[in-house]
Amino acid sequence: MSGSLLAYVVRRLVWTIPVVLLVIFLTFVLMRQIEGNPFRTSERAVPESIQRNLERKYGLNDPWYVQYAMYTKGVLTFDLGPSLVLRQRTVNEIVKEHFPRSLELGGLAFLFAAVFGIPLGILAALRPNSWLDYGAMFFSNVGFAVPSFLIATLFIYYFVVQWDVGFPTSGWTNWESKVLPVVALGLAPAAYFARLVRGTMLETAQQDYIRTAQAKGLRRRRIVGLHVLRNSLIPVVTAAGPLLGYLITGSFVIEEIFAIPGIGRYYVTAVTARDYSVVMGLTVLLSVIVILANLVVDILYAVLDPRTREARA
Amino acid sequence: MRFKRTWLWVAVLTVGLSLFAFGCGGGDDDEGDDGGGGAAAEQVITVNWGTEPPSLDPGLASDTTSAAIIFNIMDPLITLDDELNAVENAAESWEVSEDGKTVTLTLRDDLEWTTGDPVTAEDYEWSWKRTVSPELGADYAYQFFGIVGAAEYNECDPAKGDCEALREEMGVEAVDERTLRITLTSAQPWFIQQLAHTSFIAVHRPTVEQFGENWTEPANIVTNGPFKLDTWEHNSRIDLVKWEDWRNADEVSLTRVNGRMITDGTTAVQAYEAGEIDVNLDVPPEEIARLKDTEDYQQYPYLGTYYYGLNVKNITDPLQRRAMAMAIDRRTIIDNITQADEVPATGFTPAGMPGFDSINPASEFLPESGDIEAAKELMSQVQNPKTEINLLLNDAPGHREIAVAVQANWQELGLKVNIRQQEWAQFLEAIGPPPGNDIDAFRLGWIADWPDAMNFLELWTSDSGNNSTNFANEEYDQLVEEARATPDEAERYELYAQMEAIMFGENAEMPLIPIYFYTATHLERPSIQETFNINPTSQIDLRPVEVRE
Repeated sequence: MSGSLLAYVVRRLVWTIPVVLLVIFLTFVLMRQIEGNPFRTSERAVPESIQRNLERKYGLNDPWYVQYAMYTKGVLTFDLGPSLVLRQRTVNEIVKEHFPRSLELGGLAFLFAAVFGIPLGILAALRPNSWLDYGAMFFSNVGFAVPSFLIATLFIYYFVVQWDVGFPTSGWTNWESKVLPVVALGLAPAAYFARLVRGTMLETAQQDYIRTAQAKGLRRRRIVGLHVLRNSLIPVVTAAGPLLGYLITGSFVIEEIFAIPGIGRYYVTAVTARDYSVVMGLTVLLSVIVILANLVVDILYAVLDPRTREARA
Repeated sequence: MRFKRTWLWVAVLTVGLSLFAFGCGGGDDDEGDDGGGGAAAEQVITVNWGTEPPSLDPGLASDTTSAAIIFNIMDPLITLDDELNAVENAAESWEVSEDGKTVTLTLRDDLEWTTGDPVTAEDYEWSWKRTVSPELGADYAYQFFGIVGAAEYNECDPAKGDCEALREEMGVEAVDERTLRITLTSAQPWFIQQLAHTSFIAVHRPTVEQFGENWTEPANIVTNGPFKLDTWEHNSRIDLVKWEDWRNADEVSLTRVNGRMITDGTTAVQAYEAGEIDVNLDVPPEEIARLKDTEDYQQYPYLGTYYYGLNVKNITDPLQRRAMAMAIDRRTIIDNITQADEVPATGFTPAGMPGFDSINPASEFLPESGDIEAAKELMSQVQNPKTEINLLLNDAPGHREIAVAVQANWQELGLKVNIRQQEWAQFLEAIGPPPGNDIDAFRLGWIADWPDAMNFLELWTSDSGNNSTNFANEEYDQLVEEARATPDEAERYELYAQMEAIMFGENAEMPLIPIYFYTATHLERPSIQETFNINPTSQIDLRPVEVRE
């Protein structure tokens, strides 16, 4: 890593701190603005004394700025506090136990999208307007348009209930249980990759420097491999960062349908139950992930295209 | 051209390989299941618990999922049979004093924790005081408020008051190893049945003190019931295994109960159909029509009432409230929307409640299929009708469909109904009590904590935290007070009948409109149907369950 790149990375890392602080503040304020009582989860009224005991136990009887200060201090010391609804668990335990599952699910779906989508895009671009191209683009339109919850339900219905090909309906244990959720989650990004790669490859092929390369008499393999593909991948890498972040943090629908014990299920139930500490803890964590994913992309970007590095140095 | 083809091949191969890797995969775990016959060799079942139990600590649990598991790993003092009678369990007998205020329980002499320690009356005293303590912050501390001094102890602020003294004064005392004496604030004839609630189960003091909040993790937990907690992978699975040294272990057939947590209703049904689970505890309404005629579909009575509350400050004339009640076609709602053979409600206390026949008002204003003509007639007598009704619902599935049906019924009375939906937490804030001024009607349900009509009828006293209707009636409040101190069943049921009559009788106040009494719907393998059971308070007892050939 060159010196300028290192400086760039350090600067970006330092910048994440105020961003995280801002995220904490906004989540804190927003959560308190919504009506709702974390201690009344059913239609049963909570007697006053019990409500008071709970508020005291979780420090919710303190003024908001004290709560905010305590919380920020907690985040900075990696202590995200206890859950207000799952009374015997802490947010740290929830993250430690369930985040790896979401990470694995999102990571595998991303891998699937890349391994499946990018070659498909290349294929389509190499034979534009052929049946192959149309086929690939038809697939990608469908993959992009059909929402993942529908795909997931259809997958379970056909692959498990109707055809019984050996996948279970739900869970996250052996590899068989991971196939359907990974594909269901990865299909839309695969379609996205395919369209993106096809588009940028066709565009790059029109560039002057490609024509120059052709005029120089370079072999087509070299032209496609070195010039077209490498340059076409830059937008793909740009898109990949947020996508990876999205796949890791945004898979709660898939987690719910396939009963995967990931972090997404907690996130959704915590919001509806007003479990302040879980919502805030997970929001902070997920923001950090998105920030880091973007950082990695920017670094890759700088490696792939030296011009960006120089411009920033 | 040659290179172009090479590229093509690379791409085709990659796509093909990934298709192969993701597209194929085998498995051959076919499971056969036929009902009838003798006991099967393998006594293992898999149950979908539905959701992650928020807590397996009897002091903290307040939901049915947690309760279902706690009941089977612990040994309650009392259990309830299908008719909701109290049955001796860990308590071998009980005695109630003449004035009904002192209850003495005698424990069996063979009770043990999984550590081998004896279960003593002292364990109960300590556990109950722990649940009531202000430090624990237990939701269900109020289950104990009928015991002398419990409410006072719960209200204590440890920073200000002398909580220790209040703790000592709470009316529960271990007289000796096997005798527990409880002093109640009034007669409370239902107290013995109430003891069947999870809140009254004892915990193992040394374990709770050693591990704190983590004492219920499988590695730490100490239990005393027919099953032990084997695995708890949060939000994924809870597996129980038979405890071979339990006092009546030879009465327990199942050696293992695997538990899953599939929240999505459709996936759960599909998991059942794929043979992955043997029991699914809740059939989603949209699947009932399809599954109802299969041999796997099972239905149980459930002690609960689905109702529409009315804000009597906005809809002031009881005549209008009666007309609104009368217009609702419950039969159509049950047959076409909920579809689980719920019982059209004819009062608030649900069918199956002890004394139901004498308590139920069989209200003329709650006809099964509605009576639009009579309702219109009533409506025509209303002086200042409230013609625009804001109806508030929470956004869980099913409620809107019912509300649309009610909206159509009420429209015939010339009422304009605006249906508004809010998510659960906001909804609860909005209905109060007191309800927001802009709310005229709202939907809600009530499920029994313990099997006595008091648990339903005390909701409607003027100071009740569950009364979001603004209904306040002195006579009603007095009847509740009187019933609390009336141990004689027949006399008490008569008082309950009077309360129901105030709300739904000839001169019905109609602060709320009962719609139907709930049922519980399950999918169960035919091989266990004969022995698998859930009582009307939603308690599942796995002890008698046996897998048949």
